[in-house]
Amino acid sequence: MSIVALGIIIAIKVVVILAIILGIGAYLTLVERKVAAHIQRRPGPMVVGWHGLLQPLADGIKLLTKEDILPSSANQVLYNLAIIMALVPASLVFAVVPFGPEIHVFGYDVKPILTDVNIGIIMAFAFGSLAVYGVALSGWASNSKYALIGALRKAGIIISYEVVITFAALGPIMLAKSLSTYDIVMAQIHQKVWYIFLQPISFVVFVFALLAETGRVPFDIQEAEAELVTGFTVEYGGMKFGLFPLVEWYVEVLSLSSILTVLYLGGWSPINIPFVGFVDPLFFLGPWSGFIWFIIKVTILFLLVLWLHWTLPRYRIDQITTIAWKVMLPLALFNILITAFIAPLLRG
Amino acid sequence: MLNQIAFYLFGSISIICGLGVVSASNPIYVVLWLLGALIAISGIFFSAGAELLGALQLMVYVVAIAVFYILIITAVPWRKLHKNEQHNRLIGVTVLPFIALLYVEAFIVGISGVSITKNKIIETITKNYGNAEVIGIKLFSTYFWAFELMSVLLLISMIGAILLGRKEEKTYD
Repeated sequence: MSIVALGIIIAIKVVVILAIILGIGAYLTLVERKVAAHIQRRPGPMVVGWHGLLQPLADGIKLLTKEDILPSSANQVLYNLAIIMALVPASLVFAVVPFGPEIHVFGYDVKPILTDVNIGIIMAFAFGSLAVYGVALSGWASNSKYALIGALRKAGIIISYEVVITFAALGPIMLAKSLSTYDIVMAQIHQKVWYIFLQPISFVVFVFALLAETGRVPFDIQEAEAELVTGFTVEYGGMKFGLFPLVEWYVEVLSLSSILTVLYLGGWSPINIPFVGFVDPLFFLGPWSGFIWFIIKVTILFLLVLWLHWTLPRYRIDQITTIAWKVMLPLALFNILITAFIAPLLRG
Repeated sequence: MLNQIAFYLFGSISIICGLGVVSASNPIYVVLWLLGALIAISGIFFSAGAELLGALQLMVYVVAIAVFYILIITAVPWRKLHKNEQHNRLIGVTVLPFIALLYVEAFIVGISGVSITKNKIIETITKNYGNAEVIGIKLFSTYFWAFELMSVLLLISMIGAILLGRKEEKTYD
């Protein structure tokens, strides 16, 4: 493959991934409002378009045309830099997410993953936790006590749960004997088992950490409308305000759900019967069924997050960190101990 | 060719950011410059093919350590930041000869061309396996004793930190 073709393929991948993520991210606001509405037994947005289908566009226009308010005592450089530092790392995670099996397009074998580095999963966690800078900076640069308290809480949560999420992910890594996201999925396909069946403890721990890192209920103490009036975003207005929830609630949830799918749910593989094989009701789609399976799994995880978000009350900040260090971390370590005995028994 | 371009790019970024670290007066800017320098260094690791080191650099230094600086500094009130007090000049002057010595050492090592192992063992292992395997093999063979000592040291410091941070009575409830 020539260097020009390689460059073009990479450029196409970057454009496709960014367009899909940011487009879907905007439309997930509608999904969230609809799901929340139906959980609370009301119809949700119904006016703009059929069943509110054009609502995200209307919201976008509203946010963009709003007056751009800048707090007079804020540090302007950092105030604007914080937005970039929140958005960029969250979308960088998708560089190591494999969306499907290797496909054959225009005479080239293309892996639907931006960079198949041999330590992809570590990159995902590193980029995921870089998001803490956007939050910490936005809280400090706003020069407001609510924003600062929210930012400090968020930073505390991310530091605690970053440790937990890494230790939880060690289980599947040990079973797959690889740090590459693509190879972890391939290992699950070869061993004919989704790691959720072998790693139930670490799966639950990972889901908890996902909720905590993305600031979803029951871990949304950094926003806590009732006491902190949305925390670190309180001084932002217009689209600048719109970007923070977009990144935190949608892009990060999507990226961590994709990582979760890769680690525990076999990535793009169809329905699994442990140690027997895979059943694919979508066989008629040929090589494209993998992509559909990936999308289905991420969608289910996203709906699970929404379901928890709109039904649970929130924890106190000391309860959150206590759970992280005294319950989740020991559980994850215990899981690693068990996995060390299971891993040699798996073939492949 | 691409590797060299990447190396010089990240190298120059890290030098510029390093200059920013020592010249900026606002502590938050200092931390941000430091962040830039650390990210650029991880970029150098990536361009040299040491992906695992690069990712660990990102995870450990950029995220875990630099975030604590941010946490501490965000707790500093704004009023204090506007005073431009410099009281670290003495330390800076004393440290300077040692830093110069470090550069001399790096220069000598670079000129004499020191390699880690004979017969390019590392290179063959990297080609056949991955980054993680090489580091694992080195840690658990050549540097096993040092590795275990470090683990015990970290354990002791962790227990010490817990002891120091422990309170007899609960603050909440």
